Amino acid sequence: MEEVKAKMPRYYLAWAKDDAIRKKGANGGFVTATLVSALETDFIDVALVVKKKSVYEGIPVLTNDPEEIKECSGSLHCVPLNLTKYVVEYAAKKRIGLPTKPCDARGIIEQAKRRQVSLENVYMVGLNCGATLHPLRMREIAAYYGLDPDSVVREEIKEGKIFLVSDEEGKEKEKWMKIDELEEKGYGRRDACKSCVTKIPTMADLACGNWGSNDEKKTFVEVLTDKGETLFKNAVDSGYVAIEEAPGKGIETRQRIDAGMQKRAASWKEKMDALKALSRSERFEFYVGALKNCIHCGACKEVCPVCACEEDAKCTGLYDERDSYAISMYNLVRIFHLMDSCIHCGQCEDVCPVDIPLTLIQRRFSERMQRHLGYTPGMDVTKKPPLYETELGWSAEAE
Amino acid sequence: MAEEEWEPKILAFCCNWCSYAGADAAGLERRQVPPTIRVIRVMCSGRIDPAFVLMGLLEGADAVLVTGCHIGDCHYVNANYKTRNRYEFLKEFVDELGLEPERLWLSWISASEGSLFAEMVREVTEKIKKIGPSPLRREWKK
Repeated sequence: MEEVKAKMPRYYLAWAKDDAIRKKGANGGFVTATLVSALETDFIDVALVVKKKSVYEGIPVLTNDPEEIKECSGSLHCVPLNLTKYVVEYAAKKRIGLPTKPCDARGIIEQAKRRQVSLENVYMVGLNCGATLHPLRMREIAAYYGLDPDSVVREEIKEGKIFLVSDEEGKEKEKWMKIDELEEKGYGRRDACKSCVTKIPTMADLACGNWGSNDEKKTFVEVLTDKGETLFKNAVDSGYVAIEEAPGKGIETRQRIDAGMQKRAASWKEKMDALKALSRSERFEFYVGALKNCIHCGACKEVCPVCACEEDAKCTGLYDERDSYAISMYNLVRIFHLMDSCIHCGQCEDVCPVDIPLTLIQRRFSERMQRHLGYTPGMDVTKKPPLYETELGWSAEAE
Repeated sequence: MAEEEWEPKILAFCCNWCSYAGADAAGLERRQVPPTIRVIRVMCSGRIDPAFVLMGLLEGADAVLVTGCHIGDCHYVNANYKTRNRYEFLKEFVDELGLEPERLWLSWISASEGSLFAEMVREVTEKIKKIGPSPLRREWKK
């Protein structure tokens, strides 16, 4: 494979040859065409895609029908789903292809480390991801700009702006809004996304997106793994995808956008850390106060893309409703177990019925531990979670 | 009734082969060990799940000691390496949660080190007396 790699450039501009797919896709329909071709040439058994129900709602669909995949093309920014658990639950034994945001890909890799899924079977078509928005926030944004949230029919995010189209009794209304401006006012992207520094899914098999592309209907594709290369070649050879070599300027543009995004994310991270200025005892009060509201529904554990304990979990096993602890064992064990593995996707906060600021809490605990360990979860499948290691490679002398 | 001096409650996990025998040795040598300590014997320090320590703190322990055989002396080959690994996690966790780092201790004590055991318990008791009761501790109101 090494030889082949040397011959093939890693960056391409690609688009769907089928005009219908190309038109419907956000950037030339490359992702849709790749999945369709993989299904039709029996490269994968099933594909997992997100079907649009409305601007605010999408449902994950596991399908082997190419027509259904074609229906699902186009990007959805207000559906902060993480597909990891669906792969584990429904397609762990099948060859599956799916589009992945960086957090999906990282979740799948963490699950592979925990032997819940075999990476050989999973083809991850990575998507560059600037951010997702919580559907409720998007409704607020629409209302803020005088649109009826229920009549919004189309949304788009481009060059730092949100574009909304509403259809109120046949009258189309359009709005362009700067994301920065919105975020100054407290609207905007999810907290986890604002501070996320993994914008290009370098851990997936392919990384696709419009950054660096010179044409609205062409996708910039980076081939990252051998598996990704076979998938990519399959799509090209079967005649579904047309490619050309990516211009050097495009590669630079993409890197520049990525670096800019990362810089902004880092500054957001600083800004959003409400606990930074607190003293030790104030921090304790904050955690007790925030976690006191927990009703122990278990939703955060259910959606967590890293958690693989299923029913016999330690966090639920050690929790007893009759306890009157200041912080319940459920929360303590969950936070402890995620210290080395949290990928900061923010799913837990999205589903929390009592709005505990879990993104902030998990980030506070896990980020310092991961920095201490020099370990980033979800990047390399060969690196075991440090909590399961016997030795960490550095020695901590007993006091 | 006169005000009694506050006595901390210290929970110690001792491994069967070294530190529990070490605690025993402290008694045999007639050494004074502060009565603040409550010992739980486990077969190996590798058996100490971080959740045990967290539960100990929640149940009202002012400090938790994790003790075991010296590195390399473990009865079960390398289990105390795992203890050391988990302790690193616990240390960061307790610190971030807003508890004082002195509430968590790791110590390697062999079966013959009775004096070391007594000394350690004294030191922990003194330190905890200085920083006061754990904020996680729930006192019953009379």
